[in-house]
Amino acid sequence: MASPDDRFVEIFRLIKAYPNPYGEPAVVVDGFNLIMRRGEVVSVIGHSGCGKSTVLTMVAGLNSITQGSVAIAGREVEGAGPDRAVVFQSPCLLPWMTAYQNVLLGVKQVYPHGSKQQRREICEHYLAEVGLADAMHRYPREMSGGMQQRVGIARAIALKPQMLLLDEPFGRLDSLTRMELQDVILRILDRERITTLVITHDVDEALYMSDRVCMMTTGPRAKVGQMLDLPFARPRDRKEVLEHFLYYELRGCLVSFLEQQDKRTFKTVAVPSGTDHTIEAMSETRSDFRAWRHEASDLIAGAADAASTATVELMAGKN
Amino acid sequence: MKYKILKVIDVSGLTFLTPVVRLCYGEEPQKQWREIARFIGAPLVAFVVFLGLWTVLAPKHRTKSGEVPTPAVVLESANDIWKFHLRENAKEHAYSMTGEERQAQLAEAQERLAKLPPYEAAAAKKVAEANEARAAAVTAALEPLQQQYDERQAEIAAAQAARESDLLKQAAGLESASVDEKQAYLAAVASHLAAVDDERDELQELKGQQTEVRSQPFAPLAAALRTQTKIAEEKQFLTKLIEQLDRANRAQKATRQVASLRDQQKQFLASSGEDAYALAKSIDKSKRRIETTAESTYAKPYTLPMQIWRSVLCVFVGFLIGTAIAVPIGVCCGLSKTAMAALTPFIALFKPVSPIVWLPLALIIVGGFIPDPDKNPLIQWMENLPFIGWMQINPAFIASAITVALCSLWATMTNTALGVASIDKDHLNVARVLQLGFWERLFKIIIPSALPLIFAGLRISLGVGWMVLIAAELLSSSEGIGKFVWDQFNNGASDSFAKMMVVVFVVGAIGLLLDRIMIVLQRMVSFEGSVAAI
Repeated sequence: MASPDDRFVEIFRLIKAYPNPYGEPAVVVDGFNLIMRRGEVVSVIGHSGCGKSTVLTMVAGLNSITQGSVAIAGREVEGAGPDRAVVFQSPCLLPWMTAYQNVLLGVKQVYPHGSKQQRREICEHYLAEVGLADAMHRYPREMSGGMQQRVGIARAIALKPQMLLLDEPFGRLDSLTRMELQDVILRILDRERITTLVITHDVDEALYMSDRVCMMTTGPRAKVGQMLDLPFARPRDRKEVLEHFLYYELRGCLVSFLEQQDKRTFKTVAVPSGTDHTIEAMSETRSDFRAWRHEASDLIAGAADAASTATVELMAGKN
Repeated sequence: MKYKILKVIDVSGLTFLTPVVRLCYGEEPQKQWREIARFIGAPLVAFVVFLGLWTVLAPKHRTKSGEVPTPAVVLESANDIWKFHLRENAKEHAYSMTGEERQAQLAEAQERLAKLPPYEAAAAKKVAEANEARAAAVTAALEPLQQQYDERQAEIAAAQAARESDLLKQAAGLESASVDEKQAYLAAVASHLAAVDDERDELQELKGQQTEVRSQPFAPLAAALRTQTKIAEEKQFLTKLIEQLDRANRAQKATRQVASLRDQQKQFLASSGEDAYALAKSIDKSKRRIETTAESTYAKPYTLPMQIWRSVLCVFVGFLIGTAIAVPIGVCCGLSKTAMAALTPFIALFKPVSPIVWLPLALIIVGGFIPDPDKNPLIQWMENLPFIGWMQINPAFIASAITVALCSLWATMTNTALGVASIDKDHLNVARVLQLGFWERLFKIIIPSALPLIFAGLRISLGVGWMVLIAAELLSSSEGIGKFVWDQFNNGASDSFAKMMVVVFVVGAIGLLLDRIMIVLQRMVSFEGSVAAI
């Protein structure tokens, strides 16, 4: 069996269905599978509204999981927690607190036994890390969007999370700020080696930031369409990445996938397959969700390419 | 500096000053003048128009309590109220004065009193002159009216006699007349009687004109009388002041009492038997009296400024009680849908209840808790508090405060519930990711985010409370602005009407001030730095 670090994060057959009083439940995400190595950065890319954010909020525990499981370091996780820090699309800072207080709020939770001095040092360290050493006592309303997002990043990283979840963190920023912040995050990730899931709809961002790109099919019933391994070395250098001989080929691959998804109608499911990176998409065409739910347990038990909940539990027991 | 001033103005909501400040710094003068004309000029013009209309229209309506006072009269009443306050303060001060200060004050007061008689005489003379002038004017005006009346009366009497004799003549031959003629005769008598009635009315109207002339106000006389009253008041004040400085003065009283104690003691030493017993008793009594005198203060009546302070304290006490009830319940309602469902009927049921209903209930309930205010430890404790001890907090005060609380807490409660319920989902997500505990979530996330709405509610509550308080005081006779109005209403003195109008402006101004304070607080807690609605 592979080392636990290779299967640090296991997202297994994640399903999100919303009840619909007048018919079948609306299935937004239908079986999202992903396995991440420790320290790996994976981007999830797809059209807006395809369920990327739903996946992230489910992993974060902010959205209930209809079916499936998420395990980190062999332990199934339940509910939200500081082990999975989230950087939201809008910075979500508490407007009545300064940048420093915003970071401190989380630090207090994670280091309940630390002294005041220690907590202060941690906060100041991470705020300096994101380049806010001079602005840490400002209120969010006194900061630009980019600065606010930096605080959001510092707040997340200061939690020392096992996994970092970035939900289109730069979606609302201008492109210059976006590039700056990409570098800020990459620098931190290189140092801290945090396993990271990035939700984005920006092809270049996905290519620049991640080790692998996970392309989602367009919803409803979204799932992983294709996986793409990126050959770029870490630490990343923007110029190097852009001038890499495979860059445009990889980019073309992503773009063509997205274009294909664009043309896809809701009924026909045409997932391109055949590459090494493709995770076996769930091939069963299920028109009746409820019927499928009855056989779901059998399906899960029979799944060969991913850890079953049974093994998840086993591994948890071992640890 | 300029921006600091502008910011202070903005936060305090006195935005009409902004163009003035900008103008002082020479910024776009034309625009600033326009703004000044709009935000300062227009309100001033409106106010002047209001005063003008008031001055013109007020004397046109006469009531049992006299004319509706004009702005000038109201202003004078305000002055009188203030003067009364100052005089009472002087008397209070005089009561506890000792030593040379007392002597000096006494001399000064006596000097002032000595200066009065000539003024008094002059005023009396003026009144007499005015009375004479008025009498002359009235007589002059009455004479033609009387003449007209007499003439008319004579005419009418003659006409009536003529009609009567005519009718009598007709009646003589009536026996042999036809039915039609008899009918005609009846009609003629009826019309004669109707004419008599009309003529009587006419005469009465003429008499009424005379009464009108007699009761016509005579401005010089009114002015002379006012001056005379002023002097009389001053004289009374000085007499009382001298009394407080001299005979009724605390130190003087104490000296006298100590002297009499000494006498008694001397007599006691020289006596025996029943006398000795009686003297011993009176010595003890004297000692006690000396103690009471040492603690005594001037029995000062409530003046309007004192009543205003008491009202303001009362509204704040009620407001604090209301807030202490409303905010926790509001938070519970906002947090839990079950609590909201459970409490909504109560809120809906009690919200529309008028203060007039709450007050008697509150009075009875408070009275039940405090049957004897003089022995109640809470009341005793409050009497010894600094700053508010003099206000003599009594059950009526507490009942008024509770009424204020009961009427004003609903706005805060519903606003708090709304603020807590409508908290940003993202902020709650942050709390979930950080796994904050209940109390941390409450105090770090929920309450700060609901604060602006809570304060908006508090502002409404304070406004409602202030309105309710005046009514409550009026009914509960708790010393305060409402009591002042009620006293004036029952008093029915010539200046009562004007004094009540003074209260209108006082209540308005204080309400405005309270509202402004709340706006400033609201802006200070509003984290977005946004400008709340005014």
